Amino acid sequence: MAKFVTIGERIHCISPAIRRAMDNKEPEAILKRAKEQIDAGATYLDVNIGPAESNGPELMKWAVELIQSNFDNVPLALDTSNKAAIEAGISVYNRSKGKPIVNSADAGDRMSNIDLAAANDAIVIALCSNGPIAADNDERMMHCQNMLEHGMELGMEAEDLWFDPLFVVVKGMQDKQMEVLECIKMFSDMGLNSTGGLSNNSNGMPKNIRPIMDSALVAMAMMQGLTSAIVNPCDQRLMETIKSCDVFKGNTLYADSYLEL
Amino acid sequence: MPFNRKAHKFNASINEVEIGTGDKAIKLGGENTFPFYSFDGSLGSGPKIGVEITDLGLDAEPEGVKAYYAGCNTIGEIAKKAAEMPGGDFVVLRLAGGDPNGANKSVDDLVAVAKEVADAIDTPLVVEGCKNVEKDADLLAKVAGALQGKNILVMSAKEENYKAIGAAAGLAYGQKVGAESAVDINLAKQLNVVMTQLGVPASSIVMNTGSAAVGYGFDYTISTFDRVRAAALGQDDKMLQMPIITPVASETWAVKESTAAEEDADEGWGPVEARGISMEVQTATACLVSGSDAVILKHPESVKTISRLIRELV
Repeated sequence: MAKFVTIGERIHCISPAIRRAMDNKEPEAILKRAKEQIDAGATYLDVNIGPAESNGPELMKWAVELIQSNFDNVPLALDTSNKAAIEAGISVYNRSKGKPIVNSADAGDRMSNIDLAAANDAIVIALCSNGPIAADNDERMMHCQNMLEHGMELGMEAEDLWFDPLFVVVKGMQDKQMEVLECIKMFSDMGLNSTGGLSNNSNGMPKNIRPIMDSALVAMAMMQGLTSAIVNPCDQRLMETIKSCDVFKGNTLYADSYLEL
Repeated sequence: MPFNRKAHKFNASINEVEIGTGDKAIKLGGENTFPFYSFDGSLGSGPKIGVEITDLGLDAEPEGVKAYYAGCNTIGEIAKKAAEMPGGDFVVLRLAGGDPNGANKSVDDLVAVAKEVADAIDTPLVVEGCKNVEKDADLLAKVAGALQGKNILVMSAKEENYKAIGAAAGLAYGQKVGAESAVDINLAKQLNVVMTQLGVPASSIVMNTGSAAVGYGFDYTISTFDRVRAAALGQDDKMLQMPIITPVASETWAVKESTAAEEDADEGWGPVEARGISMEVQTATACLVSGSDAVILKHPESVKTISRLIRELV
C-alpha cells in the first residue's frame, strides 16, 4: 500500500495574509506557508485562489509557477471553482513529482471538472454529493458510481478519481460520523482512492481540542481505508498520528526515527 | 484479445553512487525497476563485481586463487593483479588482519597497506574493516583520511560506530560510506536516517544489509533485499534508496561445503575447489537477482561466471 497522502490546506485565499499576497502578487506569504507545510511533511499542497472571477487563469499560473519553482516541483492541488484557472494552472504545471489534482468535481453542477481532469491527465477529487450533503450512504455510493463511470468513459484510470465522502462537523452532525467512516470502507473495498477535508469534523471546537479530534478521526478513517486527506500539516499531533498509522498499515517501513522523516 | 504488455513503472529509483576516479570510476545503483527487469525500466549501469583481497596474503586462499596471483609478492602486486581480473569492476581490500582476536595488526600498518593498494591500482577501491567495531572506528576513519581524493567506499559503518566512520569518511574526507546492518530492515533504514542526519549525503551511502552463504540462513538475507527494494521503489522510501553491496566471498569460502577436503566430505561432494566456486556463484547469483547492486567475490572462475551472467542479462 502506498503512503497516506497529505494535502496541505494552508494556502487558502480565506486567510488574510494569503489573500493580500494573491491580490498584490507578493510571493513571501505564500512561500512561507508552502515551506512550513513541506517541512512538516505535506505531500501535496492545495492552492485555493477562491472563485477569482476577474484574473483566475493568470493568478493560478503565477501561483503554480511560484510554488513549484521554489520547492522542487512540489505537486499541487488546484483549488478553485474557476475552470479556466485550473486549466491555466495545469498548462504550466510540472508533473515530475506527481500529477496535478483538480479540486474538485461533484455529481451535480461540477461534474464537468471530471472531464477537465480526464482531458489533462490529472487526478480529480470527486465529492459524493450533487450539492447538499448526501442523505445516506446509498446516495453517496450512487454519486460515487456515477462519477466513476463518467471518468472511466472518458478514459481515466479509476485510481485518478479520489472520492470524498464529505466529512461532517461533530457539533451538529455527531450521529452521521460513523456513516462517513462506513462510506470510506465502501470506497476501500472497491479499491478506490479517497480523500476529504478531515478537519471539518472539529469545526467550532476549542483550538486545543481540534488536533485531538482530527487525530482520532484520521486514525479511524485510515483503518477504514482512507488514502489521503486535506489537512493542516503543521498540526504535529495529526502528522504523528498519520505517520504512526502508516507504520501499522505497512505503508511505510518502521525505523526508530520515523517521526523525523 | 491481443496481449497488451504493461510495464510496471515506479516513481522512484535507486540512488547512483559513484566510486573511484577517472575513466575507471563506476556507478552503483541507478535502477528504477526490480533486478534484471530491463523490460520494465532502467537497470542503471547494471550490477558490479568487486574482487576481494586481504592484508593476510594468499596462504589461506583456495588453490585457484593462489594460482591466479602466482608471482605476486607484495600487497601492491596482488592488488594490481586483482584489478586486472577479467570481469571485475573494482577491488575490495579487507583488512582482516586488524582483528584484535586475530593478527591484531596496528592501525598504522593497515593504513600503509591500504595506501600501497590504492597506489597500485587505478580501478575503484572498497576498503572493509576487520569487523571489530572499536578497531574499525579508528582504522576506517584513518584509511578514509589517508586515501582522500580516491573516492573509495569505506565499509562498514554500523549502529555502534557510524558516527566515527560516517563523520570521517562521509563528511571530512568526502569518501563513500557503507552502512552495515545484519538482516534487520528497520535498522537498515534507521542507519541511513541517522547517517544523513549526521550530514552524510544520501548519495554517498551504500548499504550492506547482511550476507550469508546459501543454506546458512540465506533466506533472511534475500527477503531483506526484497523488502528493502519493495519499500525503496514501491513506497518511494528515500531512506532505503541506497544501492546494496553484498560481501559474498567472505561468507561462502568459510562454510564446510567450500572447505572440507574431498576425503573428509560426504560421498559425491567432489573436489573442494569446484564446490567452493559453486557456493560462491550460487550465492552471488541469488543476491543479484534479489537486489544486490554489487557482489564481492574472490575466485577468478566465479568472477568470470558472474560477469558473464550480468553481461547476458543487462
